[in-house]
Amino acid sequence: MPSIEVGTRKVYYELHGPDDGPAYVLVNGLTQYSALWHPYRDALVTAGFAVATFDLLGQGQSDKPELFIDQSDQVALLDALVTTLGTRPVFLAGISFGGVIALRYAIEHGHRLAGLVPMSTFAELSPQLMLLGAALREGLIRGCVGFLQDLLLPMNVSSEWLAPRLNALDAVKRPGWRINDAYALQNLMESFLDFQPMTQHLSSIRLPTMVLNGEFDFLTPRGLHETMRANIPNSSLLLIPRAYHAFTLEKPALTAWLLTRFAQDVLAGTWPGGGSVWIAPEAAGGVMEPFPPGYDHLRSLPARIATPAPTPSAVKKSPAKKPPAAKHAAARSRAPARKPRA
Amino acid sequence: MNGEFGPLDAGGKVPAWQQTRVSAFLMSAHGAWMRQLATTLLMPVQDAWQVEMHAQYCREAETVSLLARATSWVFDPSLLTLAWTWETAWMPQTGTGPGIGPGSHPGADHAQAMKIDLAAFGLALHAAIRPAALLPAAANPLDPFVLALRRIEFESGRLMQAQLRFLKDPALSAGRAVVEPAVERRHAQIKALWEQLVAGLQQKPASAWGSFGQGPFGLGAFDLLRTMGLPFPPSRPPA
Repeated sequence: MPSIEVGTRKVYYELHGPDDGPAYVLVNGLTQYSALWHPYRDALVTAGFAVATFDLLGQGQSDKPELFIDQSDQVALLDALVTTLGTRPVFLAGISFGGVIALRYAIEHGHRLAGLVPMSTFAELSPQLMLLGAALREGLIRGCVGFLQDLLLPMNVSSEWLAPRLNALDAVKRPGWRINDAYALQNLMESFLDFQPMTQHLSSIRLPTMVLNGEFDFLTPRGLHETMRANIPNSSLLLIPRAYHAFTLEKPALTAWLLTRFAQDVLAGTWPGGGSVWIAPEAAGGVMEPFPPGYDHLRSLPARIATPAPTPSAVKKSPAKKPPAAKHAAARSRAPARKPRA
Repeated sequence: MNGEFGPLDAGGKVPAWQQTRVSAFLMSAHGAWMRQLATTLLMPVQDAWQVEMHAQYCREAETVSLLARATSWVFDPSLLTLAWTWETAWMPQTGTGPGIGPGSHPGADHAQAMKIDLAAFGLALHAAIRPAALLPAAANPLDPFVLALRRIEFESGRLMQAQLRFLKDPALSAGRAVVEPAVERRHAQIKALWEQLVAGLQQKPASAWGSFGQGPFGLGAFDLLRTMGLPFPPSRPPA
């Protein structure tokens, strides 16, 4: 079993692809394990990338600390893994819990990365997410791993994905149920008990950053991703149509294509960044569309961006200052439509 | 955890000799924990933790009783030596390290080390051993042994909460640097014994033979007498 050692802990990892050239490191969500990235490994290796996947401390085949798992330990193991990749350009992508670890890593060790892809994740706990997290933890304690899976599954994927699998849900859940230990998941969840918001540190991330958010993700909704888009200077927010929280599981072909294209754009110096907002195509190889100018990308309804009416005193003294939202809308309207790649 | 029980019989049941080994191990471990809990119940119930200990004691009694009744037992003489190994392992161990033990703080610290070890044992018992995870997907969901293992694993997730809360409590004066190694030691010990047992389930030992049938004193006990050369029908085919 390939493993790296971080302190006294062993971490399971897999590395595939060429020995040189750019590499992707993919970070699991809470209940995931490295084998779930195999479609990405295959697609990215075919596109010429090396791909490193691993199980976080407390997950899968990695060591599972009995009482405490600090997020700083996860960042340290990620650093050890990046070190094994040498000096080549490294792109870091993480989903949900793994996105938080990826953000932490980019804040602390951004100079070691070529690009960052936070997916379905957050830099701060909104009241809704905090309460949802507490409820999920309580569900794990009262109902063990199986019940946590029952709670997460309908949040993570669409009805279209679930419908043909409704009669075989036990088989869907079984691999994750077997490989995940309740105490270890609980430790991972409790690593958020002293979570400090990262928002004020996001501006220190100078990397090209592609923030991915599913259109229908109600576990980590758009506003949480907007925090990253608004604070990471060289970022773009990309919305995945008809996708829920775990779109990496439901739409691997599209997501792997987006990861490939992002890295190629960054390496070619054509990454748009600049806080722009985009809508991903429905399938790999489609056209990326800029979010329609004049509309609020934080709303589900096609609501126009509100421009506050100038007060009489402001009209007399000076022209009304353009609000930040209007500035972003102007930036979006300047973003050119992007052509698909062959 | 690698591997699964089986191969299953035509009825989707785990082979009786595997049931015997697994249940003997679990009854030994849960029985030991139950006995240790019992010592805390000698005092009048005056604190909240004693209420929790009482609840755990009752749950462990259920686990031991359920396994005794839901298992298809066979005669396996190697259990005599295995049980000796297990019972020795469950004995209380005093933690060592800074701030623990007679060397640094006699008396009070030693008592705390005992409490930490007891809690670590309870935690490891419920966290490191996952018998239901070894049931094949095709196992008969209505088989009593299968149901028993699932119930034990399900309850373990809840039962370990009291130990987790105690061991994670920042007010525990021994401190994280002492508690973590003690817990890791117990966890590694119990996990190693469990994995050793599971590894031994790959091949049926020649020593396992006969069948007691289901339950500790079920009708199948006649089989044991029959295999000893005494003519006691009816017989049950060994699994």
